[in-house]
Amino acid sequence: MDLATRDRLGRRLKNIVGEPFAFSDAYEVRLYQYDASPETALPDIVVIPGSAHEVAQVLKACADENVPVTARSGASSLAGGTVPVEGGVIVTFARMDRLLEIDTENLRAVVEPGMVNIALSQALKPHGFYYVPDPSSQGACTIGGNVGTNAGGPHTLIYGVTVNHVTGLEVALSSGELVQVGGRKAAEATGYDLTGLLVGSEGTMGVVTKIWVKLTPIPPVSKTLLAVYPDVATASNAVSAVVGGGILPAAIEMMDHLSIQAVEAASHAGYPLDAGAVLLLEVDSIPDVADELVERMDAICRQQGATEVRVAKNEAERQALWKGRKGAFSAMGRLSPDFYVMDGVVPRTKLPQTMEAIAGISERTGFKICNVFHAGDGNLHPLVLFDAFKAGQYEAVLAIGDEILKLCAEAGGSVTGEHGIGLEKRENIRYIFSEDDLEVMDRIRRVFDPHALMNPGKLFPANGPRPSTSAHPAGHARRQAAPVTAGEDVWV
Amino acid sequence: MGVKAESQAIPGQQISVEERQRLAVDGLLPTKIMHPGDAEDMARLLRLCDLTPAAVVVWGGGTQMRLGSAPARYDVAFSTERMTDLLEYEPADLTCRVEAGMRVAELQAQLAAQGQRLPLDPPHPERATVGGMVAANTSGLSRARYGTVRDWVIGIAVAYPSGKVARAGGKVVKNVAGYDLMKLHIGALGTLGVVAEVNLKVQARPEAAATLLGHFEAPAPAVEAGLRLARQYLAPASAVVVDRNALWACGLTADWRWTLALKLEGYRREVDAAKEVAARAIREAGGRTEGQDIPVGFWEAARDWSGAGDDQVLLRAIVPLNGEATIMAALPADGQLMAQPGAGIIEARLPAGSAAAVLTRLRAAAGPDGQVIVAAAPALVKQGLDVWGPPPPGFAIMRALKQALDPNGILNPERFVGGI
Repeated sequence: MDLATRDRLGRRLKNIVGEPFAFSDAYEVRLYQYDASPETALPDIVVIPGSAHEVAQVLKACADENVPVTARSGASSLAGGTVPVEGGVIVTFARMDRLLEIDTENLRAVVEPGMVNIALSQALKPHGFYYVPDPSSQGACTIGGNVGTNAGGPHTLIYGVTVNHVTGLEVALSSGELVQVGGRKAAEATGYDLTGLLVGSEGTMGVVTKIWVKLTPIPPVSKTLLAVYPDVATASNAVSAVVGGGILPAAIEMMDHLSIQAVEAASHAGYPLDAGAVLLLEVDSIPDVADELVERMDAICRQQGATEVRVAKNEAERQALWKGRKGAFSAMGRLSPDFYVMDGVVPRTKLPQTMEAIAGISERTGFKICNVFHAGDGNLHPLVLFDAFKAGQYEAVLAIGDEILKLCAEAGGSVTGEHGIGLEKRENIRYIFSEDDLEVMDRIRRVFDPHALMNPGKLFPANGPRPSTSAHPAGHARRQAAPVTAGEDVWV
Repeated sequence: MGVKAESQAIPGQQISVEERQRLAVDGLLPTKIMHPGDAEDMARLLRLCDLTPAAVVVWGGGTQMRLGSAPARYDVAFSTERMTDLLEYEPADLTCRVEAGMRVAELQAQLAAQGQRLPLDPPHPERATVGGMVAANTSGLSRARYGTVRDWVIGIAVAYPSGKVARAGGKVVKNVAGYDLMKLHIGALGTLGVVAEVNLKVQARPEAAATLLGHFEAPAPAVEAGLRLARQYLAPASAVVVDRNALWACGLTADWRWTLALKLEGYRREVDAAKEVAARAIREAGGRTEGQDIPVGFWEAARDWSGAGDDQVLLRAIVPLNGEATIMAALPADGQLMAQPGAGIIEARLPAGSAAAVLTRLRAAAGPDGQVIVAAAPALVKQGLDVWGPPPPGFAIMRALKQALDPNGILNPERFVGGI
């Protein structure tokens, strides 16, 4: 962005949001150049609006100057979803983080996009309800960001992902309009389901300013069981056996041998260090039934070759098991200075062959690969361990990631289960969608955002149906040091 | 141009007079018919229609053809009857891929053979097709517990007037790659493209099921009991409140006025516990649960109830949960009424004569947060009714989406909301 534009737009934005809430000082905007992915790019201006109307005015001002806009709140994207690759304006939601309404009568809550995911469930707890999607980053990620990526988490198996829990949105468009779609009533109201379309559109259609979510009654009990296996293949088969046995757990998570080493060192959750793989299974129900289901799962797990099955005896033990799982990524720092996280999906029945293929890649390339993932829905998170300071390692690791995603696509799966395409996988999207598929998606995007100013450079391939809007992308670069620094909080 | 020349210009196969009558929509008759064999064939034929341009109305099982405004034009009946295959089904993955013309009952039979089901229950599944269920967004009576079509469709292949087939989603249960175009086509009545294939999640059949009826003398306590159950864990799979007329239509005569019918599903002991909880809720709301005699086929009849008779009008109100009592109070006593307390949906079958007045009254009662539509009506009656009501919020975007995907307006012209 040239200086004259930056000054002119900067002044206009200060008028909209107030003097302290729009800034372009090179030092101040540096904080907004990254998220949890390896990529970085500096924004020209950062604004922190205080209301939906301000957001809409900001978007209009940017459209008038033909300047791109990227929305950002928790900035926990692992796919570079909030990195402003074409520069322009970052809209961030630190001031729009309120819980506007809890409406237990209609089983709805209304929140602003900057509300942190876990804060919503905490606020709902005294009413006997919760908000189901619980990405492992729930202590930092926001509902607005969850809507952008259609976030999942471990408990999507029976309850579904973000889109299944959102019934309405208020969204600001680059035209400066503020539009409400859906709302308090059922999501199946008349007209096209724009709510469903906008969820997961990664900020490429507009900026969400208000969200209507469903409330779900808190289950009377959740029982968690740890099953220990000699290897990943045996554990994978057990997953299919449990689901095929007519039980649908609320969550089935898997960790392989290498992950267990890291997790145990970091959180002392009680995972056996000599296990080839462990499964974490959870069921929700009334007490009698939960006990019965635990017994049935115990039997199936043993039948499938579990060397040990352990049931969390109380809430403290259960929380310890989950703490280990949810902190798994941060724990990787114990094993390696850096790691690269993938987010592929395969049909559940293809887990054994896919895990075997990933092990083969590890053997062939010499890079260690950990696996901590949502086994119940086939959502893999291979973590490739490396050292960014060693020449050529980062490039090698990217190639491994690419190979794994191709593998997932060929197995009939997807290149992203919950992190989003973002910047990271914009080329990999071609493994699952044809030019015709992408062309229709692009046509739809342009209905909302005719000049492709909303979060440009994301979701669509660089040379895809999206003509580039900016001839001079602003300083887009890989972070110089470690792509993901070990010990930083990173969650999946 | 004479009638003959015009009919030759329109692509497709000639049809007999009887066939044209059978395929009539709101009194309009098609000139030709097309029977695509697969997704690519669909797109190729749509392209022919687009070039003409010829107006297309898609036919699946024909159970929802009375939904929507009368089409502005109707040249070609576009039938999915040759596309009936179950393309993929892997029970252990709990997913399947289905051609649009497959009957819902046929799919359910194949799933049942593996102990599984799709927990959607559209009316008349022996005729209704999977594509039609998606296009008309017919979810049945279990939506409060299991959700609606949008919660079970994980992938879609759509044929567009451009002659292209475009897919979205995929075959896995968790997938956020690309735009969720499944949502866009669900309930769009085929106005944006023709659904060719659908990928679905399925689930294991529940271990146990039970039905419980609560008898009430007034509607409000029945709805309140249903709502209370919907807001708690172990919510009923289905909860409907019916008046005496609707109950009779479902095969049950009653000497009480209002009935709360509950279908409870789950693991065996969950169902036992849910029965106790439900019975208590009914009693606490002032209802009675004694003397249960539930006829075989009650739920099937309740499911099919919304397929109103040819001379009747079916109105559907969609409101926030706490708005249901107001809607019910605005309905006349001479119709038939079925409410789903946990879903915010109230349907009324009315004699054609009173429909217009009741519709106006309901729209006032529904308020800004609700919507009331004419879900079915005889062609002549429909002409005098505003089928969809005022355009919903975001309508300008909807119209622009239509323009982007069907620029010549050949798909179900003017049938949808706001004349889309």
